[in-house]
Order: sequence, then structure tokens, then C-alpha cells
Amino acid sequence: MPSEELFYLPITELAKRIESKQVSPVDLTQLYLKRSEKYGPRLNAYARLTPEIALAQAQTAEKEIRRGHYRGPLHGIPYAAKDLLAVKGVPTTWGAKPYANQVFDYDATVIEHLNRAGAVLIGKASMIELAGGMNYRFASASLQGAAKNPWDTSCWTCGSSSGSGAIVAAGLAAFAIGTETWGSIICPSAFCGVSGLRPTYGRVSRYGAMALAPSMDKIGPMARSAEDCARIFAVLAGHDPKDHGTLLVDKAAFTYSPSMELKTRSLTVGWLTNAWKTMDPSVAKIADATEKILRKTFPSAHRVALPQGPWDDVGNVTMGIEGAASFRSLIQTGQVSELTDPLSQINGYVNEQLSGADYLQAQRIREILQKKMADLFDSFDVLATVSQPLPATPLDFNLETGLSFPDSLGAIGNLCGLPALSVPCGYTEKHLPVGLQFVARAGDDFGVILAARTYQSHTDWHRRHPKLA
Amino acid sequence: MPDKPAGAISRREFARRAAIVSAVASIAPAGAVSTELSSSAVQTPQPASQAPAPAAQSQLPPNMPKLSPESQAEADARFQSILAQYGNRFSEEQKTDLRRLCAAAQPPLDRLRAYPVQNADGTALYLKPLFEREKKPKPPAASKPAASKPAGAAAPATGTTAAKP
Repeated sequence: MPSEELFYLPITELAKRIESKQVSPVDLTQLYLKRSEKYGPRLNAYARLTPEIALAQAQTAEKEIRRGHYRGPLHGIPYAAKDLLAVKGVPTTWGAKPYANQVFDYDATVIEHLNRAGAVLIGKASMIELAGGMNYRFASASLQGAAKNPWDTSCWTCGSSSGSGAIVAAGLAAFAIGTETWGSIICPSAFCGVSGLRPTYGRVSRYGAMALAPSMDKIGPMARSAEDCARIFAVLAGHDPKDHGTLLVDKAAFTYSPSMELKTRSLTVGWLTNAWKTMDPSVAKIADATEKILRKTFPSAHRVALPQGPWDDVGNVTMGIEGAASFRSLIQTGQVSELTDPLSQINGYVNEQLSGADYLQAQRIREILQKKMADLFDSFDVLATVSQPLPATPLDFNLETGLSFPDSLGAIGNLCGLPALSVPCGYTEKHLPVGLQFVARAGDDFGVILAARTYQSHTDWHRRHPKLA
Repeated sequence: MPDKPAGAISRREFARRAAIVSAVASIAPAGAVSTELSSSAVQTPQPASQAPAPAAQSQLPPNMPKLSPESQAEADARFQSILAQYGNRFSEEQKTDLRRLCAAAQPPLDRLRAYPVQNADGTALYLKPLFEREKKPKPPAASKPAASKPAGAAAPATGTTAAKP
């Protein structure tokens, strides 16, 4: 029987053991599969497991490594991909009943990149239907039902990368791939106590991924540490002619190696004073403690406020109109009625009515906002605040009323395509994780990685894991 | 330019409201219009004796945001437009919820429109010319002409779809 700790080893450590042949990729895959079969259904974490693919990939990895052909830090490492990424021949449901039998005959670019790195796909992670593109009222808005938080199964994981959060937190895979249009990597990472990177818009190809709001959609890793995220991101990032939204080669690529040590540059951190209007007292207490740690860790850290403006409204209009366009046929044919959530079934009709003039007004304000943020980043390398102002919510919580508070930083970050990284920064008295997010200038993904790595080198919140029943 | 008296509307605003009323009247089923309109600029004021019965009033969704008459008219028009296009799809409960959502969508739009932008302000929308796409290689000359496939022919029965996102 393997030690529980094996399932929570970071990629950096697993990779060392695999490269030195202390751990067999086939054994590791079988262990993670067995654990996923046991706990996956209890947490509603997977859309499906892919044992045939996983074992074939693990066997290939093992043979290659035995022959001395080691591909790098993801070689032989098991992972899960959010079920909106196309995997050839495997159902890709987008978490939604109308697409329950959808099968693509090609792989998404990120899956191709992970295949090339020798990573092992053990399953498709459950998700909120259409990644929340039609909006939703309850955590149960998913083909798989509400994803349960491994820290407290009466609580939710957040969405829309719900399964990805549960899988990483429960040690069912070494990492998972999530996506974010607005909050879908940062929030599950915070609620589940894992490290999640939302890359700069355009650094990771979305080819083969479900489109929700194409001007805001991004793909990123969820893992055990900022360093793990960096290693995965280095594999995912890059220009892709198949995704017209990707940046040019020199701007999209990301290189990461152990030689990129800490203290390569000193960071000026801005602790945000107005990111949240209100904060749950349990989170506020942790936020205060976190600010103190940041001030010690980054001596130049000081307080700063975000620019004021209708950023949430710009984000809502942009996402609403683009989402309605992405799922227009679903709305017009009435198939939205097959969605699970009562709000998902009707909200698309409202978004479909929004006007082109309002969309263009939103895009003009978006450019003004980009300039304001560029000005702010002239004085700061990274901005920081808690990732969410409250801990994981109960499974039956009404999200439309209870989780619909303004999220200026989320709106700004996703409208401007800024990179963000959420890492655990404490636990409430009920043992629920709280996340700390770092946000940097577009293109400075290394900035958020460096800030989070530095923070994690002074804390051990990211090394804690839940006890599964 | 002198300030307008309170409650005055511009010619443009008058035209906008008139357009909303005429559009709703022309596309909405008569029954839907007569039963679904709320107390707004679109609705003709009724004498007290003809006011909706308490039962009808109770169908108004709770927690409706307070909107200006203009914004309420727009929210109502949005609701009517949905009913006109898709009205027979919804239960009464869904219609109530839709009306609430139509109203809830209005304050963000009002704030968005109120944000000052100048003509010179750019739009975060750019065409990215397709420079880099390589030419597809020419297919090898076929030894015999391929059978033509009728438009809309069924895909092979493999159980897969090849839809690209």
C-alpha cells in the first residue's frame, strides 16, 4: 500500500523519482487510477476516466525512460483535463447534456503538447455546464452533479473547473488542466486549496477547447505549487496557427528551468485595498495575516487601490454577448432547456438581446482600462489580494444571490488578459482553504510565478491536504 | 446649450422610445403584449378601476431593481422581444424569472453607457490579418473523379462528430 504522501508529491519531486527510475510511470498511473476510481465518484470529480489511454501512455513513457529517452518533468506524470478539451475518440461533453455524446476526431492543442511532453491522461475532469456560459444558480449545474470539496464534502469546489479543483486537492492526479473566462481557475484553486495559474491571454492555444467568450477564454494548470504550475505552463504555452488568438512566437513561449532561481529580480508588490467590498470575517483574519507575511517577504510591498469604474459591467456585457453568440444555436433551437440549471435554461435568451452598440461601448472602455492598468503596473510588479472574499460555499447555496458580489480584480484581470496565480494562504476554523492571488502585467507570467514561489518558500499552506473519508 | 427641464426628453430619446413601442407592437403576439407588459412607459396608464387585479400584480417577480422609466421601458422591450421570438417555450415561472433577468440586465447597461468615451478612444477589437497560414498542398491528381457528395449528406456512422470549436 503506497503512502498517502505519494499522491500529494509535487511534480518536481515525482519527476526526480521517475527520471531516476525509483518510481515507475505504469505503477504511478495504476495507483492514481485506483484512487480516482475510489474517490472520483464520491466527489463527482470526473466526467470519465480514461484508463486505456492512461496505461498505454504510461507504458510508452516507461519504455522511453528505460531506454534513456527522458522527455522532461511531465514525462510519465498522470493528469486530468477539463472536459471541454477535445481528446480524439473520447466523449467531450462540455459538462452539458446537449453535448453528452459529442466526440471529436482530433486532440486539442494543449492535449497534443502534453502528449509530446509524455504526460499521462487519466481522465476528463467534470465541469459546470458550458463552463457557466449561460450563467447558473446552483453548484449542481453540471452533467456530473455538484463537485464536492475534498476539504468538506458538504461544500462546493467552485467552478467552472470544478472537477479539476477536486482532483488536485484530493490527490487523484498530479495536476489538472482548467480554463478560465472569469474566475474559473482562480476560484476553484482558492476553494480547494491548490495552486492555479491563469496565464496571459493568448499564451496558450484554445484550439480544440470549447469557446465561451473568445476574447476572454484562457487555459491553465492547477497543481500543488507555483513551481509545478510553471513547469506545466512551459509545456502548454506557445503560438499556434490554429488559434488566431495566440500571441506571436516570441511573446507566447514560456521557458522555465530550475536555473531560474528565486531572487532573480526583486518584486514590488501592491496589496490591494479595494478588491472586495466585503469579506467574510474568517477570510479577513487570514487576509490580515497574509499582508503581514507579504510585507516581510517583499520589503517594498505597500498598499494600493484599483482604478474605479464599471469594470464588472464591461465584463458581464462582454461575456454575455460573446457567450450568447458561442451558443446561439443552442438558444435558438431551444436545446438550452436540456441544461440542468434553471438559470442556465433561460439566461441565454436575455444575453441574446444585448446590442452590438453596447458590446462596442464595452470594448472601448476595455481599452481605457488596459491603459489604466498599464499605468498601475509602472509602479508595481504584482498586485495581491485574497482570491475570494469567502471560503467554499455549501453545495445547495444559491450562487446567483450569494456569490454574485462585485469582483473588480477578476473583471479587470480577465478583460485585460492579465496573468494571475492563486495559492493557498491559510485555513478557516472550519478547515476550509483560503487563496491568495497575485496578478501581473500582461505577459509577465513569470512575475506571478516568482511572487507565488517566493511566498510558498516562506509558508507551507500548499503542503497541506485533506483527509478523505 | 441650456439645461433641459426635469423629465424632458430629447428628440433622439423620443424616437428611441417610439421605436421600441412600435417594434414591440409589431413583433409581439397580441396576447403576450396585453398580458405581459408591466407598468412602464410602454403601457398606457389605466384608470384605477382598470388597474391589474392583486393576483396579476403578485406575478411581478420580487427583487426587481428600481429603474428609470426609460430603462424600465427598455427592460420591458427586451422581455417582450424574447416572448415574441420564443414565448411558447417558457412556463409561467420561467417568464417571471425572465422578466426579472431582463430588468437585472439593465443597471449594468446604464452604467456602461454612462461611462465617458471619446471618439478617439480605441476599441479593443482588432482584425488580425491571416499572414501566417500556409497554402494547403494541392491534392494529388485523382485517377478517376471522386463521387460527389450531396450537400448535407450524413456523416459516416462512426458515432463521432468532427465539429470544430
